[in-house]
Amino acid sequence: MNKHLVFFVVVSLFLASCGGGAKPAAQEGVVEINFTMWGAPEELAVWQAIVDDFHKANPNIRVKVNVSDWDSYWTKLNTLIAGGTPPDVFAMDAPLFLDWQSRGALLNLQPYIDANPGFLDGFYPQTLTAYKTPNGYYGLPRDFQTIVLFYNKDMFDAAGVNYPNADWTYEDLLATAKKMTLDTDNDGKIDQYGFWSDTWDMELLWSSVIWAYGGEIINADHTKTLIGEGSARDAWAFIDSLYKQGVMPTPTTSGEFGLDLFQSGMAAMTTIGHWAVPGYVQSGINFDVAFMPKGPAGRATSVNSAGFVIAKGCKHPDAAFAFINFALSEAGQKRLAELGFAIPVLKSVAESDAYLKQPGNLNQQVFLDSLAFARMKPVFKGYEEWASMVGDGLIPVFDGEAELNATLDEVIAAADEVLAKNK
Amino acid sequence: MVYGLKPLGREKFWLWLMLIPTLIGLAFGTAGSLLATLGLSLFNWDLINPPRWAGMENYVQLFENKDYIEAFVNTLKFSALYVPGVVTLSLMVAILLNRKIRGVHFFRTVYFLPTVTSAVATALVWNMIYGKETGILNFLLESLGFAPICWLCTDNAMMSVVIVNIWGAIGEGMIIFLAGLTAIPRDYYEAASLDGANELRQFFSVTLPLITPSIFFQIIISAINAFQAYDYIYMLTRRGQGDSSVPVAVYSIYRNAFHFFRMGDASAQTIQLALLVALFMMIMFWWERHYVVYE
Repeated sequence: MNKHLVFFVVVSLFLASCGGGAKPAAQEGVVEINFTMWGAPEELAVWQAIVDDFHKANPNIRVKVNVSDWDSYWTKLNTLIAGGTPPDVFAMDAPLFLDWQSRGALLNLQPYIDANPGFLDGFYPQTLTAYKTPNGYYGLPRDFQTIVLFYNKDMFDAAGVNYPNADWTYEDLLATAKKMTLDTDNDGKIDQYGFWSDTWDMELLWSSVIWAYGGEIINADHTKTLIGEGSARDAWAFIDSLYKQGVMPTPTTSGEFGLDLFQSGMAAMTTIGHWAVPGYVQSGINFDVAFMPKGPAGRATSVNSAGFVIAKGCKHPDAAFAFINFALSEAGQKRLAELGFAIPVLKSVAESDAYLKQPGNLNQQVFLDSLAFARMKPVFKGYEEWASMVGDGLIPVFDGEAELNATLDEVIAAADEVLAKNK
Repeated sequence: MVYGLKPLGREKFWLWLMLIPTLIGLAFGTAGSLLATLGLSLFNWDLINPPRWAGMENYVQLFENKDYIEAFVNTLKFSALYVPGVVTLSLMVAILLNRKIRGVHFFRTVYFLPTVTSAVATALVWNMIYGKETGILNFLLESLGFAPICWLCTDNAMMSVVIVNIWGAIGEGMIIFLAGLTAIPRDYYEAASLDGANELRQFFSVTLPLITPSIFFQIIISAINAFQAYDYIYMLTRRGQGDSSVPVAVYSIYRNAFHFFRMGDASAQTIQLALLVALFMMIMFWWERHYVVYE
């Protein structure tokens, strides 16, 4: 008898522990949703604050936030979806949106938007286009990024050179970058570059330059790569000259100095988005921002957004949308603005002190006013593979190992093949 | 040579009982994933929608896929440089360290260190060595009056990566060869030197024939490693958008599966790589029958 009792207790303990792991003790009527995103560790704290606010307003919904770094985020997402357990709400990068939407992974949010009249009224309209499909919205932007010119004030002051201004052209950028490229200790090696930016992705520099020179990136139905047509070649020649004239370190060299040469105090200027601001402030860089320079065809910059999507198989779509709704409300957007990584999609918050009076004492208005001439970073199926063909394919040119025009021809042919495969 | 405890009951029963956990692991882990890969290679699957039947299409497309062909050729080139390099260098190190010299244990440890160090960490150190502007190698070259070399640019990246991979594998090869060398009876060398054979002659007539089993084993191990080489290559040659200046087959498999949502293509590439390794093994075992000397 006694023996049986012990056996019974052991078995039930074992079963209880298994059951506990698989199914968390849920309170009656409370639904739990998962929100998965990429981001830095400090973002988790802000999201937790948003979630806490949300819990107070919606006591019957619990949100669990998971944050991964950019690379592992996408691998994790693929694995979760393939395993049939997608997160309810997850973060989306606008250029990759169609890769996921076209595969049927996402829930159509249009019915929820229709149920909340006026929901989209406060948004910057440019931020919405990426997530719109003929059947309605399958995602919503949560914040956006315009690319602007950052400059290190201390370096300009030390050289006695005027700060970049709104009349600058790309020629001015190059001429000033030359003045700011210095060998301070005379050892024959450059210690301070005039300019640095990434050229492997279009967002930071080359899309803006191509548009400003009057070129295009891709045709409207995403079947042809246009980065080699007409004046786009002049834009590439300009970018190549930044490398050839030595004002910008080659891609392979800049890898040696760390990921961001502006942050490490080795470059006087860079073009990047708002996400870099907290890091620069923390590194003690004395900097400010200006508009992207003008090209022969005018001024242009790139606008891109991060957004929310809901998985198609989500079991609690109402709760999931309620959370998105909250994060996109003024209260949620204010919290995000305080975090300082991005620009709120709600006009009322972006134009309030919560955004404009951030640490760093920057001319935050430049990021907002750039929207006037900003163009959407292209969104199409097969983006990642296409971007790798172009961005990585041109690295040998910028490393000085290959000729620009011939390589451009090869790269465009390969990129068009990717587009054909993803039709 | 029966000693120790005798098993209770039938020995066979206990043998199988003890083997079962491993066998289950093998059946599900190894054979299961192998069969799953074989199956997936006949479908198109994007991880989200149900797999669609593709038949041999994925295999046929391999021959038209320029990127995969480049990756495959890179794997062959890499192996052709890596395998002979590892085998000869680790044999040389083993012979040098098979003598009674001062501090031999220290040197053996030093050569073995890369094997037990994280590849990611050492790759970062190699990045500093290979750096064009700040690297130690170019610093040495320049102080000798030569022009700096871009070690990790497209033209030189293959050689640079092969060197790091060989460096990382010498330790393991050395251990295998040391085991082989110490197993050769001393009398053979004494007999040879009585017959007037010098050190070089002794190496070719005594050491080399008797160490062929180790050489055979080492070639097989390093060939398998060569076909699967990934970590150093990823760390040293990855470009901004995830491409590599030395894309190898495993690199291509990883990107197709987890970045481009093409599980079918990735599986077909995996099977093709596995077939290549199998073919190489068959050639090696044929060679073993003819040339490897077992005492």
